[in-house]
Amino acid sequence: MDKAILVDHLVKNFEVTEKTPGLMGAFSTLLSPKKKVVRALKDISFSVSKGELVGFIGPNGAGKTTTLKVLSGLLYPTAGITQVLGFDPWERRPEYLKRISLVMGQKNQLWWDLPAIETFELNRAIYEIPKKVYKESLDELVTLLEVEKLLNIQVRRLSLGQRMRLELVAALLHQPEILFLDEPTIGLDLVAQEKIRNFIYDYNRKHSATILLTSHNMDDVIDLARRVIVIDDGRIIFDGILDELIARFAKEKIIKLTLTKEIDTKELEKIGKVKSIQFPEVILRVPRSAAAVAASELLQSFPVGDLTIEEEDIEDVIRVVFRGEAKKLSRK
Amino acid sequence: MKKYLSVFKISFAQEFAYRLNFIMWRVRNVMQIILVFFLWDTVFSNPGRVLFGYDRAKILTYVFGIMIVKSLVLSARAADVAGDIYRGDIMNHLLKPMSYFKFWFTRDISSKALNLLFAVGEFAFLFIILRPPFFLQTDLLALFGFFLSIALAIFIYFNLLFMTSSIPFWAPELGWGSHFLITAIVIEFLSGSLFPIDILPLTIQKILFISPFPYLIFFPIQVYLGRISGSVLLGGLAISLFWAITLWLVMNFIWNKGLRAYQASGR
Ligand SMILES: Nc1ncnc2c1ncn2[C@@H]1O[C@H](COP(=O)(O)OP(=O)(O)OP(=O)(O)O)[C@@H](O)[C@H]1O
Ligand SMILES: [Mg+2]
Repeated sequence: MDKAILVDHLVKNFEVTEKTPGLMGAFSTLLSPKKKVVRALKDISFSVSKGELVGFIGPNGAGKTTTLKVLSGLLYPTAGITQVLGFDPWERRPEYLKRISLVMGQKNQLWWDLPAIETFELNRAIYEIPKKVYKESLDELVTLLEVEKLLNIQVRRLSLGQRMRLELVAALLHQPEILFLDEPTIGLDLVAQEKIRNFIYDYNRKHSATILLTSHNMDDVIDLARRVIVIDDGRIIFDGILDELIARFAKEKIIKLTLTKEIDTKELEKIGKVKSIQFPEVILRVPRSAAAVAASELLQSFPVGDLTIEEEDIEDVIRVVFRGEAKKLSRK
Repeated sequence: MKKYLSVFKISFAQEFAYRLNFIMWRVRNVMQIILVFFLWDTVFSNPGRVLFGYDRAKILTYVFGIMIVKSLVLSARAADVAGDIYRGDIMNHLLKPMSYFKFWFTRDISSKALNLLFAVGEFAFLFIILRPPFFLQTDLLALFGFFLSIALAIFIYFNLLFMTSSIPFWAPELGWGSHFLITAIVIEFLSGSLFPIDILPLTIQKILFISPFPYLIFFPIQVYLGRISGSVLLGGLAISLFWAITLWLVMNFIWNKGLRAYQASGR
């Protein structure tokens, strides 16, 4: 079997009771609760091959975390089929749980009042990891994530970044084949983010682990994932190679100029939107189709020393996608 | 099995992380016992007095019995389960190849072991300062019945706790209140931990003895005191067993429903 994750027409609804404010409101809520259905996932389908690292992105409330929770067996799907490694996640069979891990940026599994090593030992017993494997696994993780000195300190005394790295160790001791990472770099400084990114990259290679990664940090996605799935309002609006996402949704190109003489910038406006001017550097945005024409005109009529045509920033593209313009496009 | 041994160990370590808290709680326990002791000591100040079939020695044994039995039966870590669900921490456990019930049951046992250890110490201390006339049970059959009823009581209470703790699956904001209602009021009152149940009117007693509550505290102590024996003892044990099994099945049913309704919010 080469498909590690299979999601077919998955639907997840949440039922929430609407609260009326005030004391009387609280009473009426208690007596005749007004139910409202939140449709978090509206029929999504995708599959992931073994060893693939897929970026799962979308704006707040899109349904990313919900998807990961369904896949790891925490939420009972309203409709549709999910299969991971041939298991139905909801059954939460021990053989299944031993092969996966869900890491959430804001979740603690470490015992707060005890040093992290105690949680690791507990996990060794719970996952029935053989002593030798445990030792190797622990050594490797501890070295890669540089947490040797933190193992024996009460978890409550650690900083967020230190704790996050230890959380990763706890989540990976049993060497899961499938990894669901929900915003693993949230709240970390740049160095720590880089560390975790490198680590995820290595882990994916070394163990040919299948990884589904969500993040609002585009660097995570750009550095790690070749393929991305974009989800918005409970629907998948793009599933493919990251470069394709850009080709499809980027409507503009960026032209960077180095001028040799100061000129009236009004003239430049005729060619494209001026994004910034810091003499002698100028950045222009032009429609994709007009990029070549614009470039040749710039070279002919302006004192240009140097010129490059670039793709839009991925972040800018994704912002466009998130803003809903993509929905219009994808419906064509 | 080894899993649960590790859970036992880490629970023990965890209990010690809040030493001061723990000690305060034990002190409260001792104060409570002293209070109840003097209350009944006053009632029975006349040494020849017998009330509801209790003389001074037996009522005082009852009071000390409550202390031991309560620390065995009603001290349960699983009281945190409602909060676990409410906060979303339960997710950590559900993701692990381990039974959630056995996890908490093990934590319960570990906390009970610790409590028992302290209760025995406090018992000795109070015994020395108060010098109560104490009734020592020597009949092996009664002692065996006592331990059996304690084991059943622990299991019944565990299931009751798990049932009330499941409320936040459906109504997260109700969790704590309902919990308080069940444990503090119903159980303290109906289990016989505030007063011996057999001082109540007979009809109420009869009804109560069909419910599981007297089997938590009152019944084990009565068995120890030798006030319940023979066929009544067997009947009581049978009802306990019936409740242990029934509540276990009901609890499992509720939890299967609850996990399905669970919205895994809060993370
Ligand atoms: N337990 C819950 N009860 C009710 N509604 C929920 C619950 N969990 C999520 N939702 C709703 O489902 C939708 C999807 O939420 P989800 O947490 O999956 O979003 P997300 O893509 O992870 O967002 P973010 O980027 O903010 O983490 C949201 O509208 C959210 O309000
Ligand atoms: Mg999320």
